[in-house]
Amino acid sequence: MTGFARLALASLLAIAASGIARADDALKAKIGVLRLSSSAPVFIAQDKGYFREAGLDIELKFFDAAQPIAVATTSGDVDFGVTAFTAGLYNLAGKGTLKVIGGMSREKAGYPLIGYFASNNAYAAGLKTPKDLAGKRIAVTQVGSSFHYSLGLLADKYGFKLADIKVLPLQSLSNAAAALKGETVDAALLPVSTARTLIDSDGAKLLGWVGDETPWQLGAVFASPKALTNNALVTKLLGALVRADREYHDVILASVKDGKAAINDKTKPLLEIIAKYTILPVEQVVGNCAYIDPDGKLDVKNVANQISWLQEQGFVDKGFGVDAIIAKEYVKAD
Amino acid sequence: MLDRAPQETQDETRPRPVAFRGAGFTPSAGRYSGWIALALVIAFWQLAGSAGWVNALFLPPPSAIVAAIYKLALSGALWQHLSWSVMRIGSGWILGTIAGVIVGFGIGLSTLARGVGITFISALFPIPKIALLPLLILWLGIGEEPKIATIALGVFFSTAISVYSGVDAVPRNLIRMAQSFNVPFHLIVRRVIWPGALPSILAGFRITASVALLLVVSAEMIGAQYGIGAFVLQAGNLMQTDQLLAGVVILSVFGLVVGKGINLLEARLLHWR
Repeated sequence: MTGFARLALASLLAIAASGIARADDALKAKIGVLRLSSSAPVFIAQDKGYFREAGLDIELKFFDAAQPIAVATTSGDVDFGVTAFTAGLYNLAGKGTLKVIGGMSREKAGYPLIGYFASNNAYAAGLKTPKDLAGKRIAVTQVGSSFHYSLGLLADKYGFKLADIKVLPLQSLSNAAAALKGETVDAALLPVSTARTLIDSDGAKLLGWVGDETPWQLGAVFASPKALTNNALVTKLLGALVRADREYHDVILASVKDGKAAINDKTKPLLEIIAKYTILPVEQVVGNCAYIDPDGKLDVKNVANQISWLQEQGFVDKGFGVDAIIAKEYVKAD
Repeated sequence: MLDRAPQETQDETRPRPVAFRGAGFTPSAGRYSGWIALALVIAFWQLAGSAGWVNALFLPPPSAIVAAIYKLALSGALWQHLSWSVMRIGSGWILGTIAGVIVGFGIGLSTLARGVGITFISALFPIPKIALLPLLILWLGIGEEPKIATIALGVFFSTAISVYSGVDAVPRNLIRMAQSFNVPFHLIVRRVIWPGALPSILAGFRITASVALLLVVSAEMIGAQYGIGAFVLQAGNLMQTDQLLAGVVILSVFGLVVGKGINLLEARLLHWR
């Protein structure tokens, strides 16, 4: 009888243990990302199996703009998001529907991402440096976007008022590029990927890069409240991402010269992964490498500055600060 | 037998009271039913919000929307947004309508214009104007021209179609009679075709006024700093859902006002009906 009871107990334990083990190696999660090289570590961690080795089953969901990723995280369609900070993201985070857990891409000197571009006429009329943008008509995609904030930082740096600039929201990158080419604006802020065709066809002139003028924390990793309750999941995910961050930093970013990564035996495998996920030829990927901190750190001070700037402009609801939107137990501050 | 028979027939032919059946279907807008239904829906919506059945982020309750409109009105931005949008909607609608009426009458009255006009309208009407925004920016810049042009284009096609179908629907015998009395062409157009086509032209106005309101949002995608459409877009970009719905409510109130205006116009112009 006791023998039978022991057997029963043992088998029960075994079933329970196997159940735990199964739950353990199948921690499922969905990550929302853009097909941009600024999410390169996510692609590397997925392609080289770092997520799998950490015991995660990750599914990547691709979006075509930053804002929908934040909305999808709020609605629970994805558990994590990797994308740029936007005013919309802060408004959602301020209501507690998502929290920042780590840093991603940055504007940093020597790594071109967003540039200031002048129309040919404005350039001929003396718009030669970012400083000259004061008092001009400048196209951005949306109010409260990364481009708008970059302009605000530039205004602070050179001591002119943002109100002196006529900021024109044109809703899409193609509209902004068309306005610049059609000489209906003096300048526009565009990402290097959109601007390349314009510059190559001599439709606009490059004035400088945001990273060289005003470095700032462009992107982040954030999680839904439901994902945040699963400590093991978040820790493992961040661990795998940092491993990829480090590799991306040491291999690709270390080879960047004049804004371009080198194509050699060491960088080629990683560049090919990025090319695969961003659906771009390797030759274009090399000129488009966002800086990412090797330890996945977040520039918390700059995030605080972004929030207060957006609140001052009236784009973000007042009444919360950086502490309210950051999951302190996970974020490594810069 | 003879005695009974007439009695029976009399029984059958005795007038049976029958209620009047041929009233036709004449739905008349009740004075209160619409408002009561609207109030009930809003009350339920507010209840769902206050009771916490739905997240206020996904569906802000009416009270939050009213508060957003009130704040907007207090800051004075509401009037700025409204006046810019009214200017764009008004000038776009007037331009589109004038062109549409002229082209519509042309198609209705001339063989050549009919062949050419219907082909072009069929080919150009289905093009989504938003897809042309980058081109409109290249052609017209980002000032008021492309915004007004977007609205005018949308209004033009619907107006032209409703005008020529209105002209087609004027009873031919009226026109023939006028012709046999040797009434000059311009008088036939003015006295016979114009009043005959007016009901469907006004019905077309009802549609194009709504089309203009729909298009103001896409028109103000082109670098507008003020305007109800620009306000709605900005609220959407910033995920301020209460302000987004506030903008939508303002647009629909605007639509109601325009609808009432067209009712008045119909009552004045079509009093002969």
